[in-house]
Amino acid sequence: MKIVVCVKHVPDTAEADVVITPDKKGIKKEGLAFGINEWDEYAVEEAILMKEKYGGEVVAITIGGKESEDTLRRCLAKGADRAIRIEDPALEGSDAYALAKVLCAVIKGMEYDIIFTGAQAGDDGFGQVGQTLAELLGIPHAALVTKVEPQDGKAKVHRELEGGLEEVLEIQLPAVLAVQTGINEPRYVSIMGIRKAKKKELKVLSLSDIGLSPDEVGEKGSLLTLEELYIPPVEKMAEILTGAPDETATKLAGILDERGLIPK
Amino acid sequence: METIDGESFGEKYDLFVCLQCGKCTGSCPLSMRSQLSPRKHVREALLFDNEVVLDKEFLWDCTTCATCRLRCPRDLQPVEVIIGMRSILIEEAKVPATVQEALESTFKNGNPWGRAPSKRDEWAAELSLKSASEGAEYLYYVGCTPAYDPRVQNVAKSLVRVFKAAGVDFAILGNEEKCCGNEIRRMGEVGLFEMLMEDNVEIFENYGVERIVTSSPHCYNVFKNEYEGLKAEVFHYTQLLCEKLDNGLLKLTKELKKKVIYQDPCFLGKQNKIFEEPRKLISSIPGVELLEYDREKERSVCCEGGGGRMWAEATATGERTAETRVKEAVALGAEIIAVACPFCMLTFEDAVKMTGYEGKIEVKDISELLVEAIE
Ligand code: SF4
Ligand code: SF4
Repeated sequence: MKIVVCVKHVPDTAEADVVITPDKKGIKKEGLAFGINEWDEYAVEEAILMKEKYGGEVVAITIGGKESEDTLRRCLAKGADRAIRIEDPALEGSDAYALAKVLCAVIKGMEYDIIFTGAQAGDDGFGQVGQTLAELLGIPHAALVTKVEPQDGKAKVHRELEGGLEEVLEIQLPAVLAVQTGINEPRYVSIMGIRKAKKKELKVLSLSDIGLSPDEVGEKGSLLTLEELYIPPVEKMAEILTGAPDETATKLAGILDERGLIPK
Repeated sequence: METIDGESFGEKYDLFVCLQCGKCTGSCPLSMRSQLSPRKHVREALLFDNEVVLDKEFLWDCTTCATCRLRCPRDLQPVEVIIGMRSILIEEAKVPATVQEALESTFKNGNPWGRAPSKRDEWAAELSLKSASEGAEYLYYVGCTPAYDPRVQNVAKSLVRVFKAAGVDFAILGNEEKCCGNEIRRMGEVGLFEMLMEDNVEIFENYGVERIVTSSPHCYNVFKNEYEGLKAEVFHYTQLLCEKLDNGLLKLTKELKKKVIYQDPCFLGKQNKIFEEPRKLISSIPGVELLEYDREKERSVCCEGGGGRMWAEATATGERTAETRVKEAVALGAEIIAVACPFCMLTFEDAVKMTGYEGKIEVKDISELLVEAIE
């Protein structure tokens, strides 16, 4: 089975204070810890599990600067066979559509059965690259995938729906599968493992290498333009309960009950 | 068995001279409650292939207290054999999820607690401390747990007050500080440990650090005994403050009429033979009566907080050693258990709750007792 997995190197902003840059188009990167996008970590694991089970090859692809090689090396150490990084100054300001065009340009000449992506990225959270990429390649897709069982030429795919529902689809391969967290248990990869993986191929390509012109990407090639980033104003709805743990717990239970949130 | 570097365990750890006397297992605080058995593992390392360790989840039970090393009549290091076995588990990705999270966070955030590096200095926000770039006689290396854990932050804050009172000229690294790697090495992640060591040595060099004082015996141990290329002199805070006490610079004037018992941290006592300084600090507080455990100093019992155990759910059953120690302390009439290590602080706070002795006995770091005696 030939598998492609698209990954992204993103900042961890769960706890850190986010500071908007003066041009209001981005966030300050200093002091932030970067790593593989959480959803992509599961996508990579799923790709490698497939390869371990059915044989074949896993290619990891990212769009980003030199620093995103950390994420690619991690994928290689986990078991990907080779990696590709696309970097070009013209990519600045690309939306999900433009990024999907770049990925499409890289992938379309390759042989593949499944393309895995994460369902979304932890930074911009669009959740669109996978579907757009499938559309551009003219192949089917499924998003929020929680289980994959390939069966010749097809795959049985489970999708997470709202309200705890699950949908089971049969999908024609090749397809793009955008993976939800929790689909597997991503393995640990040691620093020694990452060092050893340095021997594996990591190709860096520019826009011209993949046959795209600068106008097709960046702000010009995008359907969305980022006007301004801002931190949402703090709402006054929050109520902080005070007192000993048992008092606050009683108050909290009272509030939940009042609003009908405790099933009777 | 082969180490991850391809050497044989037998040769690397000199295991051929093992008598199989079993003193190591006999002295291990876990072997009664877990399948962990240093004697057996030493033998297995000689006789079998690496595969035999793969299903040994109980290898994560070892606290790396090093009692086995201390007792061995042949000067062997069963604890290092166990760490070597963990390294195999790490390379084979046979890692408990909680240990994996701690290691991944240390790689990404520079701390095993999953916390943002930009929040590391939050505990010191209102203290206006010197930063390492300004230079100072001592670098106060805070450590991950005192920097982030809400309970242990009070140890860092107390130390700052005592340092100031004793006229210690010190600076901190703030958000540039990174995990020391003592626990990381003991969890078997050799590559990550080396990375941290290289990064930290470079940071210390950049600021021309000549003396380091640590909150934790774990950081102290790794800097003092395991860092390659570190030129700075290393002190645990109890050593530095004891010196200030002897010189008359630290004045303990306020009375604290309490019976205090001291828990020797393994990485300070057993492993680095620092027994007297902490005791001297405690007993110099006017009014304090210092009690001793039956098993104290070199015979002290591990709190089960070391060797990565803060991040590994043990397979061990039965009463935790910290709970046994709390009960013993209460029976001896102690009102305060004094600790000198962030992990002892956390395991004992837990144990006091588990044994139901809350309100009857308190856990305090020596630095917190000193604050009460100077102010
Ligand atoms: S104490 Fe030393 S000699 Fe005795 S069994 Fe343990 S390792 Fe072997
Ligand atoms: S280091 Fe301590 S816990 Fe680990 S095997 Fe030795 S005695 Fe037991």
